[in-house]
Amino acid sequence: MTGAVDTLAIRDLTKVFRIRTRGFHHADLKAVDDVTLSIAPGRTLAVVGESGSGKTTLARLILRLLEPTEGTVLLEDTDITAMKGAELEDVRGRMQIVFQDPYDSLSPWQTVGRTVAEPLLLHEDLTMKQASGRVADMLERVGLSPEHARRYPHELSGGQAQRVGIARAMITRPALVVLDEPTSSLDMSVQSQILLLLQSLQEEMDISYLFISHDLSVVRYIAHDLAVMYLGKVVESGPAAEIFASPRHPYTEALLRAAPRPDPAHKTDHVFLVGEQPSALDRAPGCPLYGRCPIAEDVCADTPQELVDIGGRHRVACWKRT
Amino acid sequence: MSALLEVRGLEVGIEGLPILRGVDMEVKPGEILGVVGETGAGKSMTARSVLDLLPAKATVSFASCTFAGQDFIPPKARQEARGHRIGFVPQRPRGSLNPVFRVGNQLSGTLRRLRNMGRREAKDEALGLLRSVRITDPERVYRSFPHELSGGMCQRVCIAIALAGEPELIIADEPTTGLDVTIQAEILRLLGEVISERNAAGMLITHDLGVVADVCDRVAVMYAGRVVNLGTTAEIYREALHPYANRLVSIATSLDSGGTPREVPGRVPNPGDHLAACAFAPRCFRAGPGCFDEEPPRIDRTGQIAFCHHPVNAGEVMR
Repeated sequence: MTGAVDTLAIRDLTKVFRIRTRGFHHADLKAVDDVTLSIAPGRTLAVVGESGSGKTTLARLILRLLEPTEGTVLLEDTDITAMKGAELEDVRGRMQIVFQDPYDSLSPWQTVGRTVAEPLLLHEDLTMKQASGRVADMLERVGLSPEHARRYPHELSGGQAQRVGIARAMITRPALVVLDEPTSSLDMSVQSQILLLLQSLQEEMDISYLFISHDLSVVRYIAHDLAVMYLGKVVESGPAAEIFASPRHPYTEALLRAAPRPDPAHKTDHVFLVGEQPSALDRAPGCPLYGRCPIAEDVCADTPQELVDIGGRHRVACWKRT
Repeated sequence: MSALLEVRGLEVGIEGLPILRGVDMEVKPGEILGVVGETGAGKSMTARSVLDLLPAKATVSFASCTFAGQDFIPPKARQEARGHRIGFVPQRPRGSLNPVFRVGNQLSGTLRRLRNMGRREAKDEALGLLRSVRITDPERVYRSFPHELSGGMCQRVCIAIALAGEPELIIADEPTTGLDVTIQAEILRLLGEVISERNAAGMLITHDLGVVADVCDRVAVMYAGRVVNLGTTAEIYREALHPYANRLVSIATSLDSGGTPREVPGRVPNPGDHLAACAFAPRCFRAGPGCFDEEPPRIDRTGQIAFCHHPVNAGEVMR
């Protein structure tokens, strides 16, 4: 796809939260630290990392739900970082989100039809009546029936509620959809239904996904590209298949080794990293993994590690592995 | 080898709704039994029945229930075993610790109550227990409040509390849900180690087939209040007899290898839903007419037990 414009391109994105520590003292917490990523049309970029790695903050920055401290966000080559007011409202129709908890993200007082129609009322100035045909189509497209439009969220199962969340996100035919752990609160059998649905919608509508997850087996299935985050930093990124086959960064390696696999012959490896993830406030000035890394040397403590391309878009932020 | 814990025909109802509909399960000495299933399958309810920790409005009946040869049907027998002979590791470690007491006091308090220890003796023993769950600085953790500890550390403390009564069986209910993968791996290893060090047995409740494959010797797969398939982990993962168990394993393995998972249509039934004779029949790819009206027979084959009219045949490719 030469010449095709990336659906999303973020450059040097940084978010610093000012945190009150004690009394009048403050500390700066870098939740997202100098992140550069892009997603091509119709592709899925998965962002993985443990809690506190900054993956959700990253998603919120991209959707302009938070203001970045530094850096730019380009949606289809348009800089949306500084947009305001009506201009920003228009762009919001092009980027949508599906949340982790399907019930919490639906208004309990609104019918499913109203919830799914709302983006059309907001972004395309349609009336409920004008929207109803597209709502019915969309509900069928996500595997529900048009009759579900009259139901309320409490009448739905978890899987059905998540289908409603997906219908709401897709109805404006957005270019980018952020999927924030969309299957982690669903049962196993329902989880695979939702993954298959997401994949067929992507093929049909050429949507780009930013897929946030801590579940590596789901990511292995759905992602084209992968970015691994640790304490606000992307430590490794590139084609998903290649990273799963040969992880280079010690943290990626630890994540993959620790993930339990549904194979009794495979035993997970537990003693790769030392201790637990510290607070981002206590991070070493150099590599974020310093202190837990089994291959660290003294220089790692104060030498910041930049992502280096080791070929084929595979980038690693570790001088010992590049 | 006779079972350590044997449960037969366990039925639990809450306000007239059947939650467990005849659960048969046993834990053998020295093994870790995995109990897997989706929401509402009855995994936690089974464990809570054994510990007599069900809500007050629940009705419980067993066809039989024994623990190390002792009749476990009288609620008093189960209450007396709780903490002493059966330890419990909860799902939300921080929520299960009292936020206003230091964890050391909670641990030594448990020891004083369960083992009639004096103050000094209980503290020494508590520090020893913290060390045995691989906490490197037990003195500091002893003095900490739960909110000062990470989720993984809180779960280590909960495991230490579960060990306080020197139990013969440890029941862990989703012990790593909500923990990060690297911490999950450590907690699972720790559980396996403390169980084998003490020659105890374990029952691990989870929805994660990766976790089961990692630590369990045998698996019980539950669906809608029953155990539908039971067998050694190796057998169940190689070729589960019950179509439901077979599909779950197939979904997990295909996702894990990056392949496209087979779809299981429909959803898990809610308590009170009308159920066919085999509760899985409406979603099953092998179901025939008999599945809806006749109780599924017990199939005993290749080290597995399954309740199914049309079990997956040996060598049949379902993946």
